[in-house]
Amino acid sequence: MVSSFWRDVVGVGLFALAHAAFSAAQHRSYMRLTEKENETLPIDIVLQTLLAFVLTIYGIVHISGEFKDMDASSELKNKTFDTLRNHPSFYMFNHRGRVLFCSPDREVSNIPNAEALRNPLRLRKLKHLH
Amino acid sequence: TPVQTDWRVNVLIIVFTEMRDKLRKWREDNHRNSEQIVDVGEELINEHASKLGDDIWIIYEQVMIAALDCSRDDLAWTCLQELKRQFPGSQRVKRLAGMRLEALEKYEDASKQYDSILQDDPTNTAARKRKISILKAQGKSAEAIRELNEYLEQFVGDQEAWHELSELYINEHDYGKAAFCLEELMMTNPHNHLYCEQYAEVKYTQGGLENLELSRKYFAQALKLNNRNMRALFGLYMSASHIAASPKVNATVKKANVKYATWATNQINRAYQVSYARCLL
Repeated sequence: MVSSFWRDVVGVGLFALAHAAFSAAQHRSYMRLTEKENETLPIDIVLQTLLAFVLTIYGIVHISGEFKDMDASSELKNKTFDTLRNHPSFYMFNHRGRVLFCSPDREVSNIPNAEALRNPLRLRKLKHLH
Repeated sequence: TPVQTDWRVNVLIIVFTEMRDKLRKWREDNHRNSEQIVDVGEELINEHASKLGDDIWIIYEQVMIAALDCSRDDLAWTCLQELKRQFPGSQRVKRLAGMRLEALEKYEDASKQYDSILQDDPTNTAARKRKISILKAQGKSAEAIRELNEYLEQFVGDQEAWHELSELYINEHDYGKAAFCLEELMMTNPHNHLYCEQYAEVKYTQGGLENLELSRKYFAQALKLNNRNMRALFGLYMSASHIAASPKVNATVKKANVKYATWATNQINRAYQVSYARCLL
């Protein structure tokens, strides 16, 4: 949730930056008209540019969200095999949950593979070996 | 009074954002806590559908898969219908319909569904992976392994598939090939301590002096990447002790490994003491 205060700060900073750029361009064209091209930018424009820059950066840092550690491995310090082993594209559903979570009044006969009940998986696997 | 209503509405909003953020965290971190997901997701869908905006579609998908895990076929059907209505003709929704058929053990129909997706789009990786899962569910592990190998020849960068293949090989006790898959994963994720540790465990299981030394080195690497990995610490202790106890090593190697094992023991004891002290606080 970005606070709108910091967004306003960035807006103000960018506007001030644009304003300073515009002033500098106007100053340059004025210098060219009055043929005083050696004079440097007036100090207030320079100050405005620098301050607007700092303000914008400070505001963006607050908008951009949480920083991550530079160390790539530190992000993984809390990761465990609990989640690493889960491959969502390969999830299977023939586990105990299908029966465990079944409400007691629901018939078990909604399993179409009736042979599966009489012939549990390990015996089925042995059958293949013959 | 108006103030009281405001407070209650604020609490509801806080509760709603918390639920939505929890679901997002579980989705991003690949948690398979399906019972919780169904509880939170069902409430979110029924009570707060309007506040969710476009997030609701991905939540429907997440809740549907969790509902299949919890045998909540009614909820899964509802989610699927909503998604079908919003995204007619979408292949992602077709895949979900196929997953529902798989959960009902209608493997032929599910396979036909995925084949139709692949006809329209031969590069669709999700449908190919689901076909492999059907083979796995039917117990045809050799074919599943073969299909997965073919898939990986084309899509070499798919890390989930490499890890899945390593698991299939471990189930078949083919540890050499499982180690190869884990090597691929370590290459692409050099900073992940868990892959190092799993590789070390596979090498340790293979046995033999060379493999034990390799496993000790990778346990050490896992610890370097994450010094809080207790399994790697135990693994370091076990592999070093086994090497030291082996009759084939000379005295220097034996002494070095005894030193490593002792160091590991001290670290383990210290870790237990620290966590005991933390419990007392």
